[in-house]
Amino acid sequence: MLPFDFDYYKPETLKEAVDLFQYLDQQGNQPMFFSGGTELITLGRIDLAYTDAVIDIKDIAESKVMKVSGDHLILGSTLSLTEIEEANLFPLLTKTASEIADHTARGKITLGGNICAQIFYREAVLPFLLADSQVLIIGPEGKKVIPINEIFHEQLRLKRGEFLVQLATDSRFITAPFISIKRRQQWDTGYPLITIAALKTGQELRVAISGLCPFPFRSKEVESVLNNIEMSLEARVQGAIELVPDPILDDVEGSAEYRLFVLQNLFYDVLARLER
Amino acid sequence: MEVIGKSVIRKEALEKVTGRAKYTNDYHSVSMLSGHKVISPFGHAKIVDIDTEEAWKVPGVHAILAGNHYPLTGEAIRDRPVIAVDKVRYHGEVVALVVADSPEQAKTAGDLIKVQYELLPVVNSPTQAFQKDAPLVHERLGEYKKEEDSHPVPDTNIATHIKIRKGNMEKGWSESDTVVEATFSFAPSDHAAMETRCATAEIMPDGNIIIMTSSQAPFMVKRLISDYFGEDLGKIIVHTPFVGGAYGGKAPVQLEILAYLASKEVGGKPVKIFNTREEDIITSPCHIGLDATVKLGADRNGKIRAAEIQHLWDGGAYSDKAIDVTRSGAVDCTGPYNIENVWCDSYCMYTNHPYASPFRGFSHSELSFVIERTMDLLAQKLNMDPLELRYINAIRPGNTTPTRVRLNKSNLGNLPKCIEKVREIFNWDEGPVKEINERFIRVKGVSCSWKTSTIDTNAPSGAIITFNKDGSLNLMTGVIEIGTGTKTVLAQILAERLKMDVDKIHVRMEVDTQTMPEHFKTVASRGTFMAGRAVLNAADDVINQLKEVAACALRAPKEDLEVADSRVFLRDDPAIGLHFKEVGYGYTYPNGNAIGGQIIGRGKYILRHLTHLDPETGAGKPGPEWSVAAYGVEVEFDRRDYTYRVVKACTVVDIGKVLNEKAALGQVMGAMSMGIAFASRETFYFDELGRVLNPQLRTYRPLRYGENPEYLVGFVETPQLDSPYGARGVGEFGLMGMPGALGNALSVAAGVSLNHLPLIPELIWKAKEGET
Repeated sequence: MLPFDFDYYKPETLKEAVDLFQYLDQQGNQPMFFSGGTELITLGRIDLAYTDAVIDIKDIAESKVMKVSGDHLILGSTLSLTEIEEANLFPLLTKTASEIADHTARGKITLGGNICAQIFYREAVLPFLLADSQVLIIGPEGKKVIPINEIFHEQLRLKRGEFLVQLATDSRFITAPFISIKRRQQWDTGYPLITIAALKTGQELRVAISGLCPFPFRSKEVESVLNNIEMSLEARVQGAIELVPDPILDDVEGSAEYRLFVLQNLFYDVLARLER
Repeated sequence: MEVIGKSVIRKEALEKVTGRAKYTNDYHSVSMLSGHKVISPFGHAKIVDIDTEEAWKVPGVHAILAGNHYPLTGEAIRDRPVIAVDKVRYHGEVVALVVADSPEQAKTAGDLIKVQYELLPVVNSPTQAFQKDAPLVHERLGEYKKEEDSHPVPDTNIATHIKIRKGNMEKGWSESDTVVEATFSFAPSDHAAMETRCATAEIMPDGNIIIMTSSQAPFMVKRLISDYFGEDLGKIIVHTPFVGGAYGGKAPVQLEILAYLASKEVGGKPVKIFNTREEDIITSPCHIGLDATVKLGADRNGKIRAAEIQHLWDGGAYSDKAIDVTRSGAVDCTGPYNIENVWCDSYCMYTNHPYASPFRGFSHSELSFVIERTMDLLAQKLNMDPLELRYINAIRPGNTTPTRVRLNKSNLGNLPKCIEKVREIFNWDEGPVKEINERFIRVKGVSCSWKTSTIDTNAPSGAIITFNKDGSLNLMTGVIEIGTGTKTVLAQILAERLKMDVDKIHVRMEVDTQTMPEHFKTVASRGTFMAGRAVLNAADDVINQLKEVAACALRAPKEDLEVADSRVFLRDDPAIGLHFKEVGYGYTYPNGNAIGGQIIGRGKYILRHLTHLDPETGAGKPGPEWSVAAYGVEVEFDRRDYTYRVVKACTVVDIGKVLNEKAALGQVMGAMSMGIAFASRETFYFDELGRVLNPQLRTYRPLRYGENPEYLVGFVETPQLDSPYGARGVGEFGLMGMPGALGNALSVAAGVSLNHLPLIPELIWKAKEGET
């Protein structure tokens, strides 16, 4: 049961959606862009999310595209995770996304919804961070295309009234060797203790991590140590661990010390898989 | 046997698979008001002030219950305010109840109630509670009303203390060449039934109190509301439709009382009190936690000579059912082994945790974990095969239980046979350890368990059978359909006795306490035994009445008649007889004269020879029989990551007689799944303020499909002579040995003794780190 009422809008165009947001905002409402709705429903009922006007962007044509255009794969933000898995156009994304929540929930959870989620794991962003994807954002100032690594710092830094429309990924990265591992407290259900995604482009290894810190990240510093083949394997792994950002999560899923133990073994697994 | 043993499809199957089956929260009327609970965010705090002014302004609010001194409640000790007064004793405790037209209004108002708290020191474990200088959860423990066999110790946190003193400990230890001792612990957790608890109440102008509740104990609801509030027993009418899983969590009486008080406050209008999942996890009673120490001594042949056991049960903030759980844990404290010298102190401790209730197995999965881990430590020290150690110590007819009940072939299942069968189907003789490579290892662990059901010595059951004019029958019992299919099994018992088609027996699913005979509670795997006996008794009554009418109509002596296939007929000439439809409503002669009238079969059962326990020695007969089981769990363990996968889980239970094969398999496998989840993942995490940090299914995770191992189930059939067709209870057994067997397998695999639950990889990692 949601303890509040809200108005529901379903615009058909990007412009309509943006204008509607601005209008509602100016009227003193708390509008929210909305797609799968899983967070609003599950967090709203325990007073952790609130809105009085939802703007449902699922039916906007641009936000539900899934196509290869030239040498880029374009994925709309309102595609559900199961749609992405079934089409399997980006195997690393398929693998990472298929471990989020459960199958029933993934039928509703959308790509953009997960990347912009309030729940901080946002694992669907990891492949895009690794692939230096471009994001298409729409807002009061119009459309803009920005490299994801410039605008995603812990979360997608959207301005008020903006939303994510598409992600474009160079096919070079889509075919690159990869690995994606999700470790949970126990077995196959639950939030990540750590989710690590990695891909290799040429001789360069890239890694992105969720669950270690209260935000997902890709760290150039961590990557540069892991890529330093002058050093011994152990030194690279230890060096990388020393460079992960703060704070390390310490919660019911696992202690900070244990997460670092898990991370260490994951680094070894990533290196074993993608090195040589 | 025509019907017994067959996998008869449960009578409510179609309703359930089509989603048409109704549970308490599915019943709603336009006039029904909704209650919303305001709950404590802290484990232990003084209530300084409750400000309801803003809440009253919300439209639709009819009543706000807060700060009132209602009579104290609690089954064994009256220690629990229905709504907290003066202080809160656990995270989730109800501090106010808002009654409004809609659930939304009630919640909106509830969120506006401002409660000012002053934090108090928190008792965060039973071991802490047991310390001399521990803060007191109940300052006035000595003043509470209580049952005679509850033994609270004033000015401590001890809610009860059960003593078992059997044999001569000095002699036992002197005969022991090998002694092991270990301590164990696990925190409280949840039952996680699919249906969250719900109750409605309405008080009619004539004073009738109509309650509907998702309960295992509607007759207890009736009794307790009468006891607590002085209402006439006959005016309290409790309805229970289908219950969506209970596992002991729906045996306590809680929401019914809130609904009753709320209805009273609004002039008798109907009020619904429904638990959100979060409230169901923390506000309503949970699965008990335990800290325990076990010391076992064995002679050079591996025969156990002495056992000294201390249980500190985490009863939580209020004792309620935890007192019974504590007693039950004591009476079977040794596990299913023949030990002549036993000393056990089982304490029910007050803590600032959600209060405890029974959990499937009623203390036996918990006591089994601590005993079975110690058994493996003993086997290790004796350098003996752990299954062999269990075999030679297995309890047998002629032995006595910790409370000195002499066992025989009927009141005890055959444990040696269960062990032999585990050895066979679990391939034990291929060896418990298989190295896969440097990193992975496969290990098997074993365990055993037993259980008697320590229910009230005078617990009743009853059954009524009526006829329809087409000759079919209606069966009514007070057993709740909690998902176990018991009502179908009862129909099978009746069909077998009447030698008729089970499809011609209609079963009343909903229970109401006004028109149906009392069945004590649908707990403790007693449904089949007690209600089954009552059904057999009623069936005999029906047979007798059928024969009486038919004897007259057929002009033949009663003794010459036989009942089968929905007919009463002459034994020597079956062609001469009458169909049920010709006698069920009396017999009508061709000229219109009628005799007999409708047949109403009645049956009853009451447990016999049960006694209270001696408070100093524990001697007494706490339950009717002891069922037994043996188990195995195989894991594949990763020695680098400390992660593992459960490959196989095996249970062999002495079921007495299989009444419905698929139902029995379902019960055992379902229970194993629950046992594995309890052992490996389910627990509450508390912070220093006693708050449960994971009161949501996002973070509190039972086992999901796909995470289950391969299940192997075997049955041994040693009849319990006084039970219907010899059957023994089966619903709890699959669970009870899982924590021990899993703990034993992982302890071998990891090379470190794992004495805590849940067995998550981090726990194993910590144990290994602690070693170095």
